[in-house]
Amino acid sequence: MKTSAIKSGHPLSEASKLDFEIDEAARMAHVLRLKRERQQRVGRLLKHAFLIGFSAIMLYPLLWLLSSSVKPEDEIFSTLSLWPSQFMWGNYVKGWYALPQSFTVFTINSVIVTSLSVVGNLISCSFAAYAFARLTFTGRSFFFALMMMTLMIPYHVVLIPQYVQFLKLGWVDTYLPLVVPRFLASDAFFIFLMVQFFRQLPKELDEAAMIDGCSPFKIYWSIILPLSLPAMGTAAIFSLIWVWEDFLAPLIYLNDIKSYTVPLALRLFLDQEGQSAYGQMFAMSVLSLVPVVLFFVLFQKLIVRGIATSGMK
Amino acid sequence: MAGLTLRNVGKRYGALSVIQGLNLDIRDGEFLVLVGPSGCGKSTLLRMIAGLEDITDGTIAIGPKIVNDLPASKRELSMVFQSYALYPHMTVAKNLAFGLQNFKMPKAEVERRVAEAARILQIEKLMERKPRQLSGGQKQRVAIGRAIVREPQLFLFDEPLSNLDAELRVQMRAELASLYTRLGTTMIYVTHDQVEAMTMASRIVVLRGGHIEQVGTPQELYERPQNLFVAGFIGSPKINMLQANLSQVNGLTEARVAGLPAFSIPNLPSAPANATLCVRPADVRLDGGDVTASVTVKLVEYLGSETLLHVALTSGQTVLVSHGGRSAFRMGDALTIGFDLTDLHYFDDAGQRIEPTQNESRLQ
Amino acid sequence: MNRFIARNGPAYAFLLPWFLGFFLLALGPILASLYLSFTRYDMVAEPRWVGFDNYVYMFTRDRRFWKALNVTFTYVALAVPARLIMALVVAMLLDKGLRTIGVYRAIFYLPSLLGSSIAIAILWRQLFAADGVVNRVLADFGIPSHAWITDPNTSIYTLVLLAMWQFGSPMLIFLAGLRSIPRDLYEAAEIDGTPKWRQFLRITLPLLAPVIFFNLVLQTIEAFKTFSSAFIISNGSGAPADSLLFYTVYLFNEAFKFFRMGYASALAWVLLIIIAVFTGIAFLTSKYWVHYENERD
Repeated sequence: MKTSAIKSGHPLSEASKLDFEIDEAARMAHVLRLKRERQQRVGRLLKHAFLIGFSAIMLYPLLWLLSSSVKPEDEIFSTLSLWPSQFMWGNYVKGWYALPQSFTVFTINSVIVTSLSVVGNLISCSFAAYAFARLTFTGRSFFFALMMMTLMIPYHVVLIPQYVQFLKLGWVDTYLPLVVPRFLASDAFFIFLMVQFFRQLPKELDEAAMIDGCSPFKIYWSIILPLSLPAMGTAAIFSLIWVWEDFLAPLIYLNDIKSYTVPLALRLFLDQEGQSAYGQMFAMSVLSLVPVVLFFVLFQKLIVRGIATSGMK
Repeated sequence: MAGLTLRNVGKRYGALSVIQGLNLDIRDGEFLVLVGPSGCGKSTLLRMIAGLEDITDGTIAIGPKIVNDLPASKRELSMVFQSYALYPHMTVAKNLAFGLQNFKMPKAEVERRVAEAARILQIEKLMERKPRQLSGGQKQRVAIGRAIVREPQLFLFDEPLSNLDAELRVQMRAELASLYTRLGTTMIYVTHDQVEAMTMASRIVVLRGGHIEQVGTPQELYERPQNLFVAGFIGSPKINMLQANLSQVNGLTEARVAGLPAFSIPNLPSAPANATLCVRPADVRLDGGDVTASVTVKLVEYLGSETLLHVALTSGQTVLVSHGGRSAFRMGDALTIGFDLTDLHYFDDAGQRIEPTQNESRLQ
Repeated sequence: MNRFIARNGPAYAFLLPWFLGFFLLALGPILASLYLSFTRYDMVAEPRWVGFDNYVYMFTRDRRFWKALNVTFTYVALAVPARLIMALVVAMLLDKGLRTIGVYRAIFYLPSLLGSSIAIAILWRQLFAADGVVNRVLADFGIPSHAWITDPNTSIYTLVLLAMWQFGSPMLIFLAGLRSIPRDLYEAAEIDGTPKWRQFLRITLPLLAPVIFFNLVLQTIEAFKTFSSAFIISNGSGAPADSLLFYTVYLFNEAFKFFRMGYASALAWVLLIIIAVFTGIAFLTSKYWVHYENERD
């Protein structure tokens, strides 16, 4: 456009023509911008509509579980409505006592196993992570590679020898096989998560502390740990949720119903299927999920950041 | 307080040698500055003294005691880091007290020393703040405070001012110098900034490629650089270097430099064919001199207190001239520069200084 | 020697729990498992050496082993791509220009957190039961009800759906990956008039390749390890008609129901090798399709 205007040759008309063309271009740009903004607005609305609908589908199973836990037995499978005609809060009470042991026992068991495991994970994994991330020692990269390889090993491969080992130690039907491995940094995921975090802290902090007379343990305890509370929080929440939901290990090691954890107890409901105790089963299922959901809601940020930094799970 | 002795100190990372056979005696109570271009090993050397890096060869002794295998935490020295390395989760007061508490010092003594350091550095009002609430200069003060509360026998500084802006750097430089005067403790200071080195040091160590080029007072380094590297490294604006052809004629040394008339130099003990003659921009005169040459002005840089002229010899080589005050020169002007033979530095073809003999007669 | 201890002592002390764990809970058991895989062992009598009998039997005569492999591979081949595509699509939807992303992100991630729990497995059984909700919804569309879980032809798909439902963690990783793609690349493409689908192919996919690769490896390993949901939904047996006989379920039953520990160990080693091979293939081929930095567009 510009070149054609310049080529036209008459100085005066050239200028006015140019003005006109600039005006025109500006008008068109404005129209285009309005159009684009409208398109963007419509696009955003569509996107929201889609995401809301999709959220509903994603949440429906959970809501169905929740509503079924308070529905009268005959409504659970007969209606799609999530709103019960009457609320059967009794399901929760009956469910609590429906099994040979009450859920008080199962919950206490789960709490014992979970809290010991979380403590064990935090201590042992942060020890290992500190060594890998902050100390120099012979064989560091070799051991680190070994550690990363254990991430790949399926639990089923070590399960049988571990079981034989623990049986010989007389540990079956105790919580030791569930808890002791966690004090031995058996879940490499947490080591990896903490290593990723520890590595971000400036190396000079350790050096300044060394000059300030700190032993390696003192550096770990007074410098690295206090600065890594978010990572520790993330690890604590993940390990809490996973141990709470853990099924396989308790299934193998716990035989006495008195020592059952919540997931094992839930499975007992399935054995009674047909005795039409669905409402109670759902009620207890809901209760088993409550701590997980609660921790998720409270610590969502830590969880999201943990996954993003570790890039895992 | 203590001196420091380095004997044949070396550092290798696998096959890569960073420092080779380095010998250095640091006197008790001196302010020693390690200076050199990046990668010269100055920081590594400091970290070896601190105990943060292993020593591959040789020995390091603090006072009479060899400390090669002594961990940093037991060397009783303190260090100020370039990044300050303040503990982010501790208040300023806690940052200062942390090291003292690690050495199991009685509480009253800790408090006394922290208060004293806070007073000296004027950070009393900041004591309850966390490092992230401090400005760069304040962080710097706290970092220095953390070093002085320990009352160590040796202070180490690793480019402590390079994260500060120019104005603050000048101010902190002066404060560090006065701190040194007050404490009188041995200080080892690493910098790549030769102005810092010149202004603060009792002695400067110029390092390059892991070995020492020259050790001396700032004045010695400036006035009698032992080699071309030191001559070029110390002094700003940079020294002028002229390639010269020397020859002995009738007991006098005759120098031929492209763009200059041939001139003879008395009292030179040797006359290598390929020599380098250096003259500092401040020693180039615009009012005559032992040797003169006509030049063309290529560039005028007005710096306020001085003007820097880039002039070209007839050979095309550029010579820097530092000219006090304002000047009326413009690009393209022709003028005559000159310098005195006493202001010339002579270096042989290996880059080593050739010292003129002293009993000079100003003959020409 | 003293110097060695001085240098390494503290680190090894910190690693002590991990060393113990590694030798007693990982390396030791893996080697023990290898040994047991060459024996017949019922936990009553001592293990009896049988050479390659377990492996020979497994590959030549054990039809349930092949069935289990078939089920597991089918599951991995369906569930992993489904979950990853789901995760990528949703991550891209969430990535740009939404302020309420936090809420959606939370909703989409929640199932991943709950997914491995027994409660969800139980719920899934009921959702897809003959008189379950899914059939009721389908009935509204005139689709005849179907016993999704008890029909061997469809049971596996209920588990694939369960896997898809839990796309949350790869989604979060994709989101983080998308965030790290410099915006100016898209702006430059926009100015060049590059259409969106081309921007996706030419910018998003190549720059996200390392993240996709990472997710793929991780999710594949995870999928091979699937146990709890399959165990619960198949009532612990792999039923119906072994259509849910996941490899892990088969292994578990051989070991802890029939106490054929030697044979189960052989199964475990085959699983380990399968996973190692898959991981190895992924890493070996990665250089052909994962471009770090700006090697190519």
